[in-house]
Amino acid sequence: MASLGTFTLLAAFVVSAYAAAAAVTGARRGSRSLIDSAIGAFYFVAALLTVGTAVIIHAFVTDDYSIKYVQHYSDTVQPFIYKLTSYWGGLDGSIMFWVFLLAIFGSVAVHVNRERHRELMPYVVAIISVVQMFFLFLMVIHKNPFETYLLVAPTEGKGLNPLLQNAYMAIHPPSLYVGFVGMTIPFAFGLAALITGHLDDAWLRAVRRWTMVSWLFLSFGLTLGMIWAYEVLGWGGYWGWDPVENAGLLPWLTGTAFLHSVMVQERRGMLRVWNVTLVVVTFFLTIFGTFMTRSGVVQSVHAFGEDRQLAWLFTGFMLVILTVSFGYIVYRLPLLRSRHELDSWVSREAAFLVNNWVLLFAALFVLFATMFPTISEALTGERLTVGPPFFNKWMLPIGLILLFLTGVGPLLAWRKSTPTNLREQFLWATIVAVLTPVGLSLAGIPFWPPGLCFALCAFVGVTVVQEFVRGAAVRRQASGTDYLTAMVGLVARSKRRYGGYIVHLGIVLMFLGFTGQAFKIDEQMVLKPGQQAQVGHYVIRNDGVRVTDDGQKQMITGHLTVFRDGKEIDKAFPGKWLYRRHEQEPVSQVAIRRSVAEDLYIVMPGFELQDQSVSLQVVINPLVDWIWVGFGVLALGTMLALLPEQALGFATSKVPAPATIAMLVLVLLLMGGPVAAQHVESPAFRPVEPKTALERDLYKSLICMCGTCGRQLVGECTCGYAAEMRAEIGNLVKMGLTREQVLQYYIKKYGSQEPLAMPIDKGFNRLAWLFPYVIGAGGLLVVGIAAIRWSRRPAKGEPAPALPTPSAERVDTELEARLDDELRDLD
Amino acid sequence: MANKGVKIGLTVVVLALALGGLLRATLREGTEYYKHVDEVLVNPAAWQGKNLQLHGYVVRDSILRKRDSLDYKFKVTNKVGDGVRVVSAHYTGIVPDTFSDDAEVVLKGKLEPDGFHVSPNGVMAKCPSKYEAKKVAAAPGV
Repeated sequence: MASLGTFTLLAAFVVSAYAAAAAVTGARRGSRSLIDSAIGAFYFVAALLTVGTAVIIHAFVTDDYSIKYVQHYSDTVQPFIYKLTSYWGGLDGSIMFWVFLLAIFGSVAVHVNRERHRELMPYVVAIISVVQMFFLFLMVIHKNPFETYLLVAPTEGKGLNPLLQNAYMAIHPPSLYVGFVGMTIPFAFGLAALITGHLDDAWLRAVRRWTMVSWLFLSFGLTLGMIWAYEVLGWGGYWGWDPVENAGLLPWLTGTAFLHSVMVQERRGMLRVWNVTLVVVTFFLTIFGTFMTRSGVVQSVHAFGEDRQLAWLFTGFMLVILTVSFGYIVYRLPLLRSRHELDSWVSREAAFLVNNWVLLFAALFVLFATMFPTISEALTGERLTVGPPFFNKWMLPIGLILLFLTGVGPLLAWRKSTPTNLREQFLWATIVAVLTPVGLSLAGIPFWPPGLCFALCAFVGVTVVQEFVRGAAVRRQASGTDYLTAMVGLVARSKRRYGGYIVHLGIVLMFLGFTGQAFKIDEQMVLKPGQQAQVGHYVIRNDGVRVTDDGQKQMITGHLTVFRDGKEIDKAFPGKWLYRRHEQEPVSQVAIRRSVAEDLYIVMPGFELQDQSVSLQVVINPLVDWIWVGFGVLALGTMLALLPEQALGFATSKVPAPATIAMLVLVLLLMGGPVAAQHVESPAFRPVEPKTALERDLYKSLICMCGTCGRQLVGECTCGYAAEMRAEIGNLVKMGLTREQVLQYYIKKYGSQEPLAMPIDKGFNRLAWLFPYVIGAGGLLVVGIAAIRWSRRPAKGEPAPALPTPSAERVDTELEARLDDELRDLD
Repeated sequence: MANKGVKIGLTVVVLALALGGLLRATLREGTEYYKHVDEVLVNPAAWQGKNLQLHGYVVRDSILRKRDSLDYKFKVTNKVGDGVRVVSAHYTGIVPDTFSDDAEVVLKGKLEPDGFHVSPNGVMAKCPSKYEAKKVAAAPGV
């Protein structure tokens, strides 16, 4: 089976190469049949990868431990569903999953648009194929998930990390991947438009929906990640600014910027260079995020060596992306000239422009701060790190500015807002925004930052509600119906606009939740049985510790009673689970008492069975659930905006929108079941100090082969597997083996030179390591030469179809300005 | 045109300078040095009062906890079993599950004449450079 899997990967690589070459050639020769064959090949890649996926899932389900990847991430006792999700549990599989998604998405995108954007399609196919080729190449030569044990296959797997065995982790990564991969499609269309010179707004229309869908999944993935961190990890928070989180946030920020600036181009024909740039940058950041988190670059410079090969491959690919994309942007600058100038700074396009700058700055800042330890070590040799407080210091004002713009932007008129217009739109919102902090300060809430944040939330909330109310009032007068019907009809008529408002409302709710952090209470204590302690307005009493066992694990549960205002309101049962065979990795079980106003969040990190005392961490997280509710509203708004044109009027006449919102809120609130929290690092780590110089040398020459530690040196890795390897090395040295013999032993044991930190650098080896690269480069060269040669001889009697040059269109600017204004009233 | 170019140029310069200045100022107080025990103990005086992330190993049998409290005293060394360079540390709060003898730790805090004062929640019992190798690469959280 494993060889079938490897074969599908190889075949997919070859077919992708063909698709790319045939598509480009077909486009340049104007040969329809060649393009059709390229598209066919493109679909075939998706089919091949589906087969490959089926093979690896089959291997997981049937416990085929001869495949290394399966052995590392699964075991026989694992529940069925987690055997499936182990597919993306590790590096190799996640890359494969990525390509698989890309192939499926690409095929759908090509299929949907094949008639509408004929002139772009061949290049879209070629670009997506090239991206696929990169990832397939990566797998085939370096990270093949179908690699097998050559000699004796183990009979039992190591099991997926227990931390990942929960529902959030099952859907969080795929959701994030869908978002990441989806961003490839707009990039492909954008670059295709640049290559062909068809830079009218057609390509934008083709990708707007894709971007929105990807953006929605990205938001979903990020939110799930927050919920997972909050409920499973048990440190009381949900966002720690760690590099992996940031990697997901970066494309989200630029994607958000694009979704806004795309409107400016659609309506006013401005910001065309900017839009193409944003599409490129967003795609680049998805790749960069992958690079950052997979290769170990972020942690420190020496961690770069964790997977140096992967890092270099990615660096090369990113350089190619940047060079090609920006090269074409510069080349096409004459075609990208803006149709208008900015008329006034008090206009919607100006607000969007500022919003874009702020979002881009936020992305750059996060990128800079995430890479800071690496940058500082490279520049000064000192490794400096910046923590969450630094991020918060900067991101707080940035977030507030964005929140403000969320309220201002949509209400400004295109081109120029008049003073009357401004007064009409912002009078009430401003009054409410000023009164809120005043009222709050009476209640003892400081102005900076929570008061200001609440004020801005109120400001945006009022503007959004005002839009709905005013729109509904106008419509009610026109149609003579009641308010609710008018409002539903209003939303149904311009879904994009009102969907957008609902998204903004979701953002406001999320900000409300974030602001709650300002009032967070976090206390740690030791309680003896019967003893109680006050945290905020809660009193917590320890009723003792119970130990139970369900055969699979031992569960230690703290029994606590929660009082408020002297009355008993609830019991809480934070726990600690010790799984069989994993006794050294206790799993914390967080007890969360949710309410609209605040969460009471209790973790029991320590306990004494003799005297029944418990160590507790008690966190009060005000307003935190509004983040999840806010996301629900955001998702609802996005989906509304995404619906096809006619579908909604019909559907909403049956189900009123508030019912849908209420349902969603309910679902979200019910989602928070108890989940286990676990730590994974092996505390059994007892580094064995090398006894001889030879041993020390070997520690540095071999890497930990457990499969999860990246390519850490045996001497530095802290996992249990490395400890075993060190012991083994010790024995081998004791037996009197030389360095060469030990290395040979490991090469034989793992069937390749993989365990070596550096390849044996002599003779044939150098060639062998170079070989795949030579083949890869050679293949590309052949494909390129073939494409150029074929395209030089266009078929006779079949002149290339004359394409309308977009730059030639010169419309009367006066007329266009008038059209814009009239369109504004429509939308 | 030249006028517009000058305007844009000036705006960019002013904004860049302002942001650069702010960044510099905040970086100064926001950064922490990531250091190993032996690096710091070569010249402890130079490191006193600075924000540090101290990497080391807990000395065996050195963890002391005051009864019925969360006050910890323990010793950290640069190498397991090598007691040459040792610094004592004080901490009040909850320690991670994996905090034990010989555990590899990173401590956030400041070096004072009487030892290393760990800031609240400043004990990380696993090396941060390892966190993502241990879970799905796209998983956020700590």
